[in-house]
Amino acid sequence: MSDGGAPAAVEQAAITFRWDLDKTYLRTQFESLRQMVKIPFEAASDKVHLPGVPQVIQGLRRCALARAQRPFVFFLSASPPQIGNAIREKLELDGIEYDGIIFKDQLRNLVRGRWRSLREQIGYKLGELLESRERGPAAPREILFGDDWESDPLIYSVYADVLAGRLDAGAVGDLLRTLEVERGAIARVSRAVEALESHSEVVQRIYINLEKRTPPGRFHAFGPRLVPAFNYFQTGASLFELGLIDDAALTTIANALVEEASYSGDRLRNSLDDLVRRGHLRPSSRTRIIRILQAAAIAGPAPHEAMLRARLRAAFERLQARWRRGTPAEQLPELDYAQILRDWTGREV
Amino acid sequence: MPRIAVDAMGGDFAPEEIVRGVAQASLESDIQMVLVGSADKIQALLDAGPYNPELISVRHCSSAIGMAEDPREALRAKRDASITVAARMVAAGEADAMVSAGNTGACVLAAAKNFKLIRGVKKAALASVFPRQTEYPGQDTLGLLLDVGATIRCDAIELTQFAVMGSAYARRISKVASPRVGLLNMGSEESKGGDVLVEAHRRMKSLPAINFVGNIEGNDVATGKADVIVTEGLLGNVVLKLIEGIGEIAATLATHAAQENWRWRLGMAMMSSGISRMRDLTDFRTYGGAPILGFESLCIKVHGRSTAPAIRNAIKVAAKAVRDRISPEIAETLASIR
Repeated sequence: MSDGGAPAAVEQAAITFRWDLDKTYLRTQFESLRQMVKIPFEAASDKVHLPGVPQVIQGLRRCALARAQRPFVFFLSASPPQIGNAIREKLELDGIEYDGIIFKDQLRNLVRGRWRSLREQIGYKLGELLESRERGPAAPREILFGDDWESDPLIYSVYADVLAGRLDAGAVGDLLRTLEVERGAIARVSRAVEALESHSEVVQRIYINLEKRTPPGRFHAFGPRLVPAFNYFQTGASLFELGLIDDAALTTIANALVEEASYSGDRLRNSLDDLVRRGHLRPSSRTRIIRILQAAAIAGPAPHEAMLRARLRAAFERLQARWRRGTPAEQLPELDYAQILRDWTGREV
Repeated sequence: MPRIAVDAMGGDFAPEEIVRGVAQASLESDIQMVLVGSADKIQALLDAGPYNPELISVRHCSSAIGMAEDPREALRAKRDASITVAARMVAAGEADAMVSAGNTGACVLAAAKNFKLIRGVKKAALASVFPRQTEYPGQDTLGLLLDVGATIRCDAIELTQFAVMGSAYARRISKVASPRVGLLNMGSEESKGGDVLVEAHRRMKSLPAINFVGNIEGNDVATGKADVIVTEGLLGNVVLKLIEGIGEIAATLATHAAQENWRWRLGMAMMSSGISRMRDLTDFRTYGGAPILGFESLCIKVHGRSTAPAIRNAIKVAAKAVRDRISPEIAETLASIR
């Protein structure tokens, strides 16, 4: 169930940003039955976005256009379409331009007595992602945004590997059967996988918002393509390194965190350092970002010793980069889905 | 917001329990923490559990001082040891206080080498908290004993300064408006204990800045008669280790008793929750540590066998001590009696 009229033709100079909604864009509370019951009755003004997220989307769009790339923004939600109006209003309130939004038709599942489909996410989301790409646009680059509440890391990784041709319909079918996905959903995914005409490394990054504070070490199995981020400044920093947002966009994101969530310069600096230590940001990028924060008077000067050390490390890294070209995701190792399923679901393929 | 430097490599269970304690504190407070130690080891441990990266930074250093190393030698040989780097950070104003579960001697020496003594203070004192009975509702279940090892022998002026420092600390941390200060001695009479203790008694009694309750004998240490007990380092350390040992012996005896016959086993089973509570009360691994008092900067020393909850509590204690301006208050009180 979707709206928005995306063009079907492949746009070579295009980039697609796919977003989950709940816990990725919105601070949706559905931990208790009471909170879940409240959701359909919430107005747009009741809905709260995560700090910095509208600024990330706006920055991505603006910078893509500045690079003469056509940006596409799609939202994919497992919520029912009955809350669609409130969501659309909320996105409008936040000044978000988007090209499509998909909801899960839970009413149809209910009427047809598909009880398992009501809760099932993996088959549903994977099917929608693949079909959405089939409908177009099939941009040569995609960036995906999800969270750590359900199965976004697995769904997005499978989607990326299907597009790259690393997983065929048989392998995906095996994975989905292991996860006890409903037969109809498996058939839908398999058909969409087989319908793919060409394969390439489309998905450049997968950002997982650690809303539940899942230990980042749990995501190592998904490889360097997937970046677990504790806040949208970390996400912004990684996007800045990829060249997808500029100084001004990053400053706007940082300011949003300062104004909406009382972040301090120290908190932002620590967030950056955490990303560097986890291997998702280069020290030289960190140094550049700190300069941007300082220029915007968001962060104060670093202690002399630490700054000196960062400069030395950045210089060393530049020397290393002469020998080793490419970002981490471009040297992506093959993922061991059997291991991922064992770790994340306790199931054997 | 206070920034606390935490020696990640010091302690019997370092760096695992230290990093876990910091991670726990990051989820429960808004204290900025700097983990000092091997960056790779620290990040690997952080990765394994939940934490808030916004409150944690890491200062890499290449070495650490072992619990069994000679403190003086180790500090001389390892200039980049985590405990020294943490102390240097505090001295340079990069952190407001430090927490360490490492080698006690090295901790005291690192503080002495890097921190300035408060004007007029002759010697710094290592304090420790210990479990005790309470005499009235709301009284802190932990008493403060100082010195427990920063000194060996002390004169009367030094003991009096310890009393002022301990009183100021207890007033802020234990929230006792007027903490009762006792002098550890071999009798309750003013004339007991030799020239130094008699003179110390006279000086403390004449000080309006403290609530001096007189001499405290060994059997009153754990009764709650005094909130702060003052003694020289040699005796304080013996008392502290004795209290620790009693807790361990009680636990061992209970285990042996349960193995003797089925009636005792049954009795022990019925008392198990009470025994468990008693064990928690006497378990030094869960306390929040105690300060080295007398320096302008603050260092909280945690027991070497501390686990994550003790580290978390120590960080909170350090932050509170910084917020409540413990060191400036000690300096002001000492200046007023000079």
